[in-house]
Amino acid sequence: MKHTRRDLLRNGWKLGGALLGIAAGWTVFESLRPLGSGATSGKIKLDSPSSYAEGTATYVPEGRLWVANAGGTVFALSQKCPHLGCRVPFCESSGRFECACHGSIFDIGGEWIAGPSPHGMDQFKLSVEGSDLLVDTQEVIPGPARGAKAYLTPPKGPSCLEKG
Amino acid sequence: MTDTEVAPDTGPEPTPEDVLEPVEAQPRRNGLSARVQRSVAWRSVFRHPQMDTPRGRALQSFSNVFLHIYPVKVPKRVLRLRYSFRLGFIATVLLGILTMTGIGLMLFYTPAVGSAYGDMQHLRTSVGFGQLVRNVHRWSAHLMVLVVFLHLVRVFYAGAYKAPREFNWVLGMMLLMLTLGFSFTGYLLPWDQLAYWAVTVGTNLVHYIPVLGNTAQNVLIGGDQIGQSTLLRFYVLHVAILPLLTVLGLSVHIWRVRKDGFAVTRPSVGAFEEGGTEVTATATPGGGPPGAPAELYSQRTRVLGVVDRESVTAEERPVDDTVFTWPHLLVRHVVVGLGVAAVVLALGVAFAAPLRGLANPNLTPEPAKAPWYFAGLQELLSHFHPLVAGILVPTAAIIALVLLPYIDRNPDTRARKRKVAIITFSTLLAIAVVLTVIGTFFRGPGWEFIAPWTHWYVEM
Repeated sequence: MKHTRRDLLRNGWKLGGALLGIAAGWTVFESLRPLGSGATSGKIKLDSPSSYAEGTATYVPEGRLWVANAGGTVFALSQKCPHLGCRVPFCESSGRFECACHGSIFDIGGEWIAGPSPHGMDQFKLSVEGSDLLVDTQEVIPGPARGAKAYLTPPKGPSCLEKG
Repeated sequence: MTDTEVAPDTGPEPTPEDVLEPVEAQPRRNGLSARVQRSVAWRSVFRHPQMDTPRGRALQSFSNVFLHIYPVKVPKRVLRLRYSFRLGFIATVLLGILTMTGIGLMLFYTPAVGSAYGDMQHLRTSVGFGQLVRNVHRWSAHLMVLVVFLHLVRVFYAGAYKAPREFNWVLGMMLLMLTLGFSFTGYLLPWDQLAYWAVTVGTNLVHYIPVLGNTAQNVLIGGDQIGQSTLLRFYVLHVAILPLLTVLGLSVHIWRVRKDGFAVTRPSVGAFEEGGTEVTATATPGGGPPGAPAELYSQRTRVLGVVDRESVTAEERPVDDTVFTWPHLLVRHVVVGLGVAAVVLALGVAFAAPLRGLANPNLTPEPAKAPWYFAGLQELLSHFHPLVAGILVPTAAIIALVLLPYIDRNPDTRARKRKVAIITFSTLLAIAVVLTVIGTFFRGPGWEFIAPWTHWYVEM
């Protein structure tokens, strides 16, 4: 293998071009990557756990989340449907989360029951501060996989997704 | 230049003397416009006088940067509407209309969450023809997606992606992606409920890309949900980055069309023969007249005259079946362009672009539909896991389409010789169309099946 000066120069150009490309790509990526959080601020103070009655879901607009009491366990569930990001409303008549966008249904604990969602509703980390609950919207706990049935109860009444 | 070498075939076409006629031999007119056109200033801009001779027509194309995008001559069959349905040209016209109306809209629009929606209302209520310009922009955009897609379908069935046009097909695919990108980024800009939720649903598809999904979605929308960063990003993509890429890609695309001769070669007949005036003699081995020496006719030949028995003058030269771009093709393009403008104007007058309520992240409309060209994908998503329906299927479809000219190495462009390719493509096309129609017209709240004649949930 004989290496000529031409080879050296040619490969030098290639290497230089590749480095330049990587540098440019990295710069663009870093400048476009969002740093810090977007709309939601980190920690939100909620009421005491006892103020969320069993079987109810309370909407917290500033955190874009639901505080749901599933059989005594309180969850902070992200309103964003794991399917395609629609807001999942709570259906009072059936006592379940029912997404009108594409028909995903979750139980009060955010577990998947039906529809196209790949898993249950995402949760935010909850902690107790003094007597009150504190939710950290920066800490997302991915929703339970399909098949989880820990909080599944029969529907209280008719679904909100009935045709009409 | 070939046109001076090719002898004219029939009729009152000019003789070779006309072809070589000097500029000065044109009849001298003395009207004001004629004198202006003879002035030094005029001729410094338009270097050729208009002449109705082949030479003049060729010069017309040669010496004009805009006409130079066309070849001087094109095969005669290019003139037939049925040949290409002018879909590529129509898409280019729509791009021009979109550029003009888009610039108009930019004058009245600020890409800010607080004011974008107000700008839309302002445009509707207090800008002269504002609503009309917006309507025309919207309709042209929808039509462009449709026309570019039909262009792809037409090129497939014509086999026009085959050698040497493989790379132009790839470029065309890139332009299709850019068209979808234009339409999708533009969708968000009015910042109404329709925009917000269509883009929410659309960008959440990205989320399902394995490993990189979250990062890709964050880079695309500039955060973890659609907001100010998303609006600005989509705006910059819509008015700067995508137009630049499109102009670049389209230039090469059209340039390649021109270089490749504007028409697909028919392997059975040859590029210049179809519809020509070639004389076909009686069947002899080799194709010549009875008794003529076969070696004379081993090439494609043209009989100029039969002088005496066994004394045939023949010339080995392809039959010239081309016509001048200027004026034949150009006139047709002008007519089609005016027709397209008339159609989008009529649509814009008749149907207003929708503007729903201000975007509200806490109120999902029922149903939340992606734009119609993604409705097939959304329909697919309701049946399969998002990784399959949202990522694997579309990615596979795009890769397969891009690589099509390299996969399908069969050089034949005749339908009966490409059964596998045509049946495969037609089946997939039919599935895509059916899914899109179902997703667009037959789905209601909760993505339940509905009949479009009872409940209408389509908004363009």
